Amino acid sequence: MAGLELLSDQGYRVDGRRAGELRKIQARMGVFAQADGSAYIEQGNTKALAVVYGPHEIRGSRARALPDRALVNCQYSSATFSTGERKRRPHGDRKSCEMGLQLRQTFEAAILTQLHPRSQIDIYVQVLQADGGTYAACVNAATLAVLDAGIPMRDFVCACSAGFVDGTALADLSHVEEATGGPQLALALLPASGQIALLEMDARLHEDHLEQVLEAAARASRDVHTVLDRVVRQHVQEASVLLGD
Amino acid sequence: MLQKREKVLLLRTFHGRTLRIVREHYLRPSVPCNSPLCPQPATCHNGQGPDGKLLSSDVTHYMVPDWKVVQDYLEILDFPELKGIVFMQTACQAVQRQRGRRQYNKLRNLLKDARHDCVLFANEFQQSCYLPRERGESMEKWQSRSIYNAAAWYYHHCQHRMPIVMVTEDEEAIQQYGSETEGVFVISFKNYLDNFWPDLKAAHELCESILQSRRERENESQESHGKEYPEHVPLEVLEAGIKSGRYIQGTLNVNKHRAQMEAFVRLQGASSKDSDLISDILIHGMKARNRSIHGDVVVVELLPKSEWKGRTAALGESDGDDRAPGESLSEPMPTGRVVGILQKNWRDYVVTFPSIEEVQSQGKNAQKILVTPWDYRIPKIRISTQQAEALQDFRVVVRIDSWESTSMYPNGHFVRVLGRIGDLEGEIATILVENSISVVPFSEAQMCEMPVNTPENPWKVSSQEEQERKDLRKTHLVFSIDPSGCEDVDDTLSVRALDNGNLELGVHIADVTHFVAPHSYIDIEARTRATTYYLADRRYDMLPAILSADVCSLLGGVDRYAVSVMWELDKTSYEIKKVWYGRTIIRSAYKLFYEAAQDLLDGNFSVVKDIPEFKDLEERSRQAKLEELVWAIRKLTDIARHIRAKRDRCGALELEGVEVCIQLDEKKNIHDLIPKQPLEVHETVAECMILANHWVAKKIWESFPHQALLRRHPPPHQEFFSELRECAKAKGFFIDTRSNKALADSLDNANDPNDPIVNKLLRSMATQAMSNALYFSTGSCAEEEFHHYGLALDKYTHFTSPIRRYSDIIVHRLLMAAISKDKKMEIKENLFSNKDLEELCRHINNRNRAAQHSQKQSTELFQCMYFKDKDPETEERCISDGVIYSIRTNGVLVFIPRFGIKGAAYLRNKDGLVISCGPDGHSEWKPGSLQRFQNKITSTTTGGESVTFHLFDHVTVRISVQTSRCHSDTIRLEIISSKPHMTPDTELFQQSPLLLKSDLVKEVTRSVEEAQLAQEVEVNITEDYQKYCQTKGRSLYTLLEEIRDLALLDVSNSYGM
Repeated sequence: MAGLELLSDQGYRVDGRRAGELRKIQARMGVFAQADGSAYIEQGNTKALAVVYGPHEIRGSRARALPDRALVNCQYSSATFSTGERKRRPHGDRKSCEMGLQLRQTFEAAILTQLHPRSQIDIYVQVLQADGGTYAACVNAATLAVLDAGIPMRDFVCACSAGFVDGTALADLSHVEEATGGPQLALALLPASGQIALLEMDARLHEDHLEQVLEAAARASRDVHTVLDRVVRQHVQEASVLLGD
Repeated sequence: MLQKREKVLLLRTFHGRTLRIVREHYLRPSVPCNSPLCPQPATCHNGQGPDGKLLSSDVTHYMVPDWKVVQDYLEILDFPELKGIVFMQTACQAVQRQRGRRQYNKLRNLLKDARHDCVLFANEFQQSCYLPRERGESMEKWQSRSIYNAAAWYYHHCQHRMPIVMVTEDEEAIQQYGSETEGVFVISFKNYLDNFWPDLKAAHELCESILQSRRERENESQESHGKEYPEHVPLEVLEAGIKSGRYIQGTLNVNKHRAQMEAFVRLQGASSKDSDLISDILIHGMKARNRSIHGDVVVVELLPKSEWKGRTAALGESDGDDRAPGESLSEPMPTGRVVGILQKNWRDYVVTFPSIEEVQSQGKNAQKILVTPWDYRIPKIRISTQQAEALQDFRVVVRIDSWESTSMYPNGHFVRVLGRIGDLEGEIATILVENSISVVPFSEAQMCEMPVNTPENPWKVSSQEEQERKDLRKTHLVFSIDPSGCEDVDDTLSVRALDNGNLELGVHIADVTHFVAPHSYIDIEARTRATTYYLADRRYDMLPAILSADVCSLLGGVDRYAVSVMWELDKTSYEIKKVWYGRTIIRSAYKLFYEAAQDLLDGNFSVVKDIPEFKDLEERSRQAKLEELVWAIRKLTDIARHIRAKRDRCGALELEGVEVCIQLDEKKNIHDLIPKQPLEVHETVAECMILANHWVAKKIWESFPHQALLRRHPPPHQEFFSELRECAKAKGFFIDTRSNKALADSLDNANDPNDPIVNKLLRSMATQAMSNALYFSTGSCAEEEFHHYGLALDKYTHFTSPIRRYSDIIVHRLLMAAISKDKKMEIKENLFSNKDLEELCRHINNRNRAAQHSQKQSTELFQCMYFKDKDPETEERCISDGVIYSIRTNGVLVFIPRFGIKGAAYLRNKDGLVISCGPDGHSEWKPGSLQRFQNKITSTTTGGESVTFHLFDHVTVRISVQTSRCHSDTIRLEIISSKPHMTPDTELFQQSPLLLKSDLVKEVTRSVEEAQLAQEVEVNITEDYQKYCQTKGRSLYTLLEEIRDLALLDVSNSYGM
């Protein structure tokens, strides 16, 4: 049995997409009433739920309060049933801690934290089904949730992953593509200004190819932005129709 | 817009649990159909694939093969006659899943090959073709259903204008779908061939033989009885074993002279890293080899030390069985057995059917016949055919299908007939097939791309090109120096003084890439051929003659496109100040011959009247022009000397020269070209070419550090020099092999004034010890490894012969891209990525090796045919002087300077008698024993007489031919006297070893032709000779290059290990 061909000669990927095409994205905002903001997103078969509380007073130790800006607190968790094999994932394991930190960095860069000094913003993200690109799904879900909460941000934060196979950059990797062990790059972008909120890669990739992969990820992130923008507008319209009544 | 579907897969995990996996599957409304009948080619994005291939429009139907057909009959679908084939993605994936990578790559290459009229239709990604697999439906049924559905869609898509024939092996499918859609026919493969291609005999035969061999295999597997071989270990276990160091991975190399018993596994890089094995691993016997064939990548398990065996040092022939065990074995070496095969390297094999008597002795199973491959290293192959008797006297191509553990020999099927045994054409075809060289004439589609140059419609420089290129026609004196009679001039030179007093040296190379567009038909063909093949009596061009001998060739007095490298040199020190690369237009003023150029250089102007360019000039202008030319040649020589001296200081090896001419003799038949004393102009031209190659290498490497094609020559392993050092010691010389400079110097010193052949032999041994120079992609190895050992340059490539080497074409494209990159215009799309280039380099290296082997084999063929007709007992020519150059336990290896033959001579014959020489030196066979020492061998008879042969002793040998039905004939040598051969004209022969290969070839060719054309003697033989002369009419630089290649040639020790 030959190994899986990630990119065929005709330019198709395993699931039928072409190199630069995204998976299907569906999203909804305001899924929970009791939270300040919430959103649910599906990117292909990766599904994530994000909930935002705040800005509110610092809970717990007051010493953590920052005099000039708000504290952003992120927590990531993934459901036991999120992968093919059911596996218990305790809170506070290394992977989810790291993801939490990455999310925190991403959103500290995007939220206008100086508007709410000495207060706290909580972002909780849970992955319900993992099929590649969990970081990207989390960021996108959290963006929508933060928007839903009405917290001022510089811009949307849109994230997407990209990989590199046979000299071609592939956007938005699925689990099958991730699992083959090639390099994977995660990018969170502020699309309007083109600024990078977070860039992460932990595999070896030749410097020469970096630009190409980065470009693919950035283009994909902009595409994500178009979709998210449409979701937000629709949500606002629905909300305003309800208010108008 | 894409539509999303989900596929649910049930996989079994390593722990045996079932895992439910949901995968996405995206469908799209339009997928390239690649048919010219497509109603909306724009929405289909036709022709936007990697190669932009479309089906041709002149077919009567499209053929859609079912998955089973693709799996089993791929080699028939490979026939270029079968046109309009649409491979469905479902079928391709079935091949990928079930037939392994080799078969799948074959299919991929077929699809990529622009010459072959077939396309892939990605039906599973098309929204109306995709059918999800139903519950309980078997994989096979679903695949057939999908393919039929896609075929029907394709028919409707082409608006019913083209009937579609789906070919399947599934009877049920024929029943079920046969009449479902009008215009889509479903028939069996056999039926298809009968109805649509009744005349394609080769395909029918192939189909027959595939069917038969499959039936046999099925029968066999049912009655599987006692196993001949252990089963192979599964792939996962192999991979794990290699990682843990339990198994070792390597390439299997069978010993040609003991094909039954000995094979070696050459280790591959990474796996040998941690184990402390340095040498190869011996695989002893067929059982341990476990069904692997020469060239396979195998996985080996080492045996315990107590079972290790030594390799054999005796000369082959006496087939091993009756030798006293351990007698002639060397030290035990690591021994192992094959546990699995990672990659099978089966190719087409040339075989011979056994003669009638043998067939009868094989008895009841007359349907299955054991055929003997031409290559000794390949085991016999079992074929089932009814044509055995008819094919008796022919050389035949077969393919191996399988090798079950229950079967002693592999199963194969018959493919095609090459020619009669012993017939020149048949034997040459054999050599070509054995080296996987395919040289069909250029097709019409390929020739259509060629420029036209006829007297009515002459080829001209276009005005657009005139603007883009630098015009050197008026400003530069450009000339070429080549051997006389040369037609394909790749390279020209120029030199002139600049206004500031500096000099400008220019090398102008034929601009082949202007005519050969990337991915054009001719480009693909040239890439497949990779090089021009020179056999003993003919050549197969890489490019059609219109390019190689006309429009690309830089002939005198006509405008031609060129790619130039020009250096500005300091007027006194000749330091390089500036370099310019670019496309130019030149008009070569003189097409000089080496001899004429040398005469001009020496100040001998009597040759002027032989130079055609000077003929029609009046006296005064002739004088002026002559002076200009002579100045240029002198200057050029001066510059070349300087560059050469600089390179020599770094330790460039001087392996060309008189000595290597002899080497060249053995394998190449161009002796009459090589002057006895090489002229200085040869070196001048060669030096300029090396300079150009070097600077181009630097340029492309700087511009494309990870995808440039360069050529490297790794430094040799010191241990390979030990034989050379031992031999030299026997004569009292010391060879220092520590660096290339030391080696060159000590070889110069190792000269026996009484016997010039000693030095020649030492040099040829030195050459053999070196590794091959190779093309490589700069992205695939570290910069320290780029070094060229022989030329003592840090970077080197091939740039100067694009007419006969594909590597040069790639380098030209790289250089052009590098120049445009400087100008901030990116033309990158035509360049290869590192990975593709690596693949291509491997291919070119491979083809070069094949070219060298075929050349060597064809020369041997001619040698044998030459001696075959002579009676060794009577013919004077068959007795000659030879020099012993290596000692084995039961014989010696002898070099015959007169014919350039190397061969083995036995001191013990088949009956166990040893040689003994009387006082007059004449030899007889007597009972006795042999004793071998470091550099001599002594034969002692029971009567107490003894004779000793030392290294470099001259002996008299008789040359005869040992004929063989199944293999190539071989030259046999027999020592008839221990004294040098003393005919009155020996001296003469030694001075001019002039019964040369070329004469030999001519003689053989003539006799062959005479035999064939006995009735029509009128055939103009001389014309043919003219053609052969052309073969040799290559520029001397090429020749020197070849010598260099040769130095790096894998001259596997031809006789005995």
